[in-house]
Amino acid sequence: MVSMELTPEQRESRLGWQLIAPCLGVIGLLIIYPILYNIYLSFFDVKLTGDKIFIGLANYERLLKDAAFYGSVLTTIIYLIGTVVGTTLVALLVALLMNIEFPLRSLVRTLILLPYFAPVISVVFGWQFIFDPVNGIYNHVMVEVLGLAAERHNLIGQPKTALFVVIVFDIWKHFPISYLLIVSKLQSINKDQYEAAAIDGYGPFGRFIHVTLPELYFVLGTLVILRLIWNLNKFEDVYLLAPNVQTLPIFTYYTAFTGIIDQGFAASISVVQFALLAFLIYFYVKKVLKW
Amino acid sequence: MNRKRSLLQNMLLTLAIVAVLFFCLFPFVQILSTSLKHQFDWGNPSLIPVKINLNAYKELLGFVQATEEQIPATVKKLLENPLITPEQREKILAKYRSTSDVFPFPRFFLNTFLLSASAASVSLALAVLGAYAFSRLRFGGRTIIQRSILFVYMVGGVLLMVPLYQMSVKVGLARTVWGSLLSLLLIYIIQTLPVSLYMLGNYFRTIPYSIEEAATTDGCSRLQSIFVIIIPLSVPMLVTVFVYCFIIAWNEFLFASVFLKQYHMFHTLPLALQSLFVSKNAIWDRIMAASMLTLIPVIVCFMFAMRNLSGGLAEGGVKE
Amino acid sequence: MASVRFKNVDKWFGKTQVLHDINLDIKESEFVVLVGPSGCGKSTTLRLLAGLEDISAGDIYINDKIVNLLEPQHRNIAMVFQNYALYPHKNVQENIIFGLKRAKASRDLIESRLDKASKMLQLQEFLQRKPAQLSGGQRQRVAMGRAIVRDADVFLFDEPLSNLDAKLRNQMRYEIRRIHREYQTTSVYVTHDQVEAMTLGDRVVVMKDGYIEQVGTPMELYLQPKNIFVATFIGAPSMNILDATLYPEYIELEGQKLPLATNLVKTSVPSDGQKVKFGIRPDFFQDEQLISAGEALTTLPNVHIDIIEPLGYDRELNLKLGHQTLKARLDLRSTAREGDTINLCFDMRRAHIFDIETEKNLTI
Repeated sequence: MVSMELTPEQRESRLGWQLIAPCLGVIGLLIIYPILYNIYLSFFDVKLTGDKIFIGLANYERLLKDAAFYGSVLTTIIYLIGTVVGTTLVALLVALLMNIEFPLRSLVRTLILLPYFAPVISVVFGWQFIFDPVNGIYNHVMVEVLGLAAERHNLIGQPKTALFVVIVFDIWKHFPISYLLIVSKLQSINKDQYEAAAIDGYGPFGRFIHVTLPELYFVLGTLVILRLIWNLNKFEDVYLLAPNVQTLPIFTYYTAFTGIIDQGFAASISVVQFALLAFLIYFYVKKVLKW
Repeated sequence: MNRKRSLLQNMLLTLAIVAVLFFCLFPFVQILSTSLKHQFDWGNPSLIPVKINLNAYKELLGFVQATEEQIPATVKKLLENPLITPEQREKILAKYRSTSDVFPFPRFFLNTFLLSASAASVSLALAVLGAYAFSRLRFGGRTIIQRSILFVYMVGGVLLMVPLYQMSVKVGLARTVWGSLLSLLLIYIIQTLPVSLYMLGNYFRTIPYSIEEAATTDGCSRLQSIFVIIIPLSVPMLVTVFVYCFIIAWNEFLFASVFLKQYHMFHTLPLALQSLFVSKNAIWDRIMAASMLTLIPVIVCFMFAMRNLSGGLAEGGVKE
Repeated sequence: MASVRFKNVDKWFGKTQVLHDINLDIKESEFVVLVGPSGCGKSTTLRLLAGLEDISAGDIYINDKIVNLLEPQHRNIAMVFQNYALYPHKNVQENIIFGLKRAKASRDLIESRLDKASKMLQLQEFLQRKPAQLSGGQRQRVAMGRAIVRDADVFLFDEPLSNLDAKLRNQMRYEIRRIHREYQTTSVYVTHDQVEAMTLGDRVVVMKDGYIEQVGTPMELYLQPKNIFVATFIGAPSMNILDATLYPEYIELEGQKLPLATNLVKTSVPSDGQKVKFGIRPDFFQDEQLISAGEALTTLPNVHIDIIEPLGYDRELNLKLGHQTLKARLDLRSTAREGDTINLCFDMRRAHIFDIETEKNLTI
């Protein structure tokens, strides 16, 4: 047998490659190759028939002149800032609240996680209903109960206001996971530190600033950057709730699959988005993981 | 710091907790409430239906045929004409059973379930081997692989929609319904594979190496020790990862819409619900009932996997 | 039962060499302890023997057969780990017989071995429990049981007692002795604790920085350490090492001229006024007042007593001699008090002289 000539470590190494090979194959074929193929496609005019004509940088030139693209970039930026700031703040507040002891706390902690685990598809229409101009509770409260608005608005019907609804929805949907990470960090903070700070004369606020926040610094940093990365990739959460809010992924989707289909142009949008993502990942790797 | 809270503090605390719970749970309550309401009751802000309406659920689950009533009386008469052959009868009926009206919920449910379960199973099987390799075996290039997996784990499906579709067209898969389904299955596998690898890799690392070393001195080969030691020890995490992958596939809309739009009977739930909603035959009670029905299996899984899920996620395995 | 042999074994991790030319012969049924501070390579040596790591150069023999390329599962060894490494999902019985089952042993054999081992280790009551339901000592016994039922050629112990508290450690040490007497299996035992090494080993291998410093019986190491490292590592409290000057007939220690014993004179380096290290164990000092006449002892007069640590029967004196500190262990009859001076006696034949550069013992 040939294998008899290998040392145990060499055999281990060979087994390692054998076991990882299927994964590498699938990932290479269906993730790495498509990323490269996408860049390739962005230099072509891709016909519906599958024919391709090389057009160099024409797609990118068009992109730079496209007002809709800039609109989409702006929407994406507002969406990212709104959701990242909102998710992190809400998560931090809720985590601090859930770090206080009270009866039924573990039940409450579990219930809080529900929005995160609920499928997007089974909650978006509930949110649609809440903001429905005719039947929705939002308009009822704003107009009839509080009198803050003169008439009922179709918030989701207007791209500008719909963006706001999408942001609130995303905060609702995603703060639980950030909360979970913050609360598990909070619980790992040594009680002695608080007691030492209390003896040193710090009140609750001072203890928060001098003990809690420094401990959470790393977790919060991770959450902000990961949330940026995830939300840059979000499609379902935005599209299903408000198809008129055109963040980059939705803009790409419309360009690639609806109306005047132009997949070459769509590919070039993806490349731009990919570059942005790669930058964020690089930042994450350097600053957070410190490779 | 263990002082008793004052009455005011207690009230503020209670208020805050109630507010958080309201924020988290209100949409669910709203969905449940509307799914049980009659149309006249929709605009009523009260969450308790005036009269409970179970028709939406009955229709979705196939207990009641919704279509018959919508056929005009004149057509019904025509259908009763004995000269009409069964084929012609079917044709006429089919016109009224426009696709957006028929909503075979169980069928869509099954489509989604099969697709999600197969994708999650394949992904899990591949990931067990792969994650074992890079988390527990020493080989040259391991660090590079670990890092690349973190990288692809953050690349979302949206970036790949154009090239994956083009690839599928090129090899001819997009032309047939089964080819489309296969494409979708493959796409769901790669959408879930990186997260499975990542979560399992992190988990496998927590199993002490010496347990496996004990197994090898006890006579197991490395491959055997995966099946005899690692897998039995990881069951809760395997369930968690499966559920997590399952939910990712269960939610997926983008690629389903790209590949399955034209094949109505093969729609997955996100796609079907979206088309139902857009068709404006949209009846709130039906949509909400369908939402409830898609939610229930997830809540069941959630209850089941809660413990490990939050633990596993807190250890840093998250993917959306 | 088997013999084990390391021949010119080197081990590299990347660019660092962690073992240098290890040569070691272990006889059948022998109990050998590898001891040294952390990072000395003792665990690596054990893992090479187990086959958990590759050797970089040289050969390892079990029963005169080279096993360099054999996987652990084919070496017929049993190993007891520091953290027990029990299979958490299997109960005690399943844990113990796991190896036998993999070897497809007959049911009768499994039962008789299990029976004997569980009696020996007092595990009969716990056979159906999961490891999580056991105490640390019980878990360590299960780990031991898993090894002994296997009828392996060699038992390997990787710091098996370091997770236990002091009392349990003593008890388990005793059980390991009993097991070895009963089964007579060749054993290699790794520890950083010199007491374990002294009490368990037929022979002890002292290691440092990837080199073997000395191999010998516990008493050889205690009485004839080859160098300062072994001298101070073995024995507690450790040997006093004092700056001294060597002359042909005497050694000068903080101005005191102490005549050399014949064995030291004979081997000492021919030199006038050579700086050396003088080594004497705290155990070998006696209070001059308690010496019976007629003993040929050397006296170290007027040593200042700084601190006294009473330990029951013994009292440990921390002393000052000029600028140097040293320790003495006297028994409870001594009435010395802190702040006093004391005249200490010792047998010069028990003392050692070490080279200041090579730290080698010049007297053996």
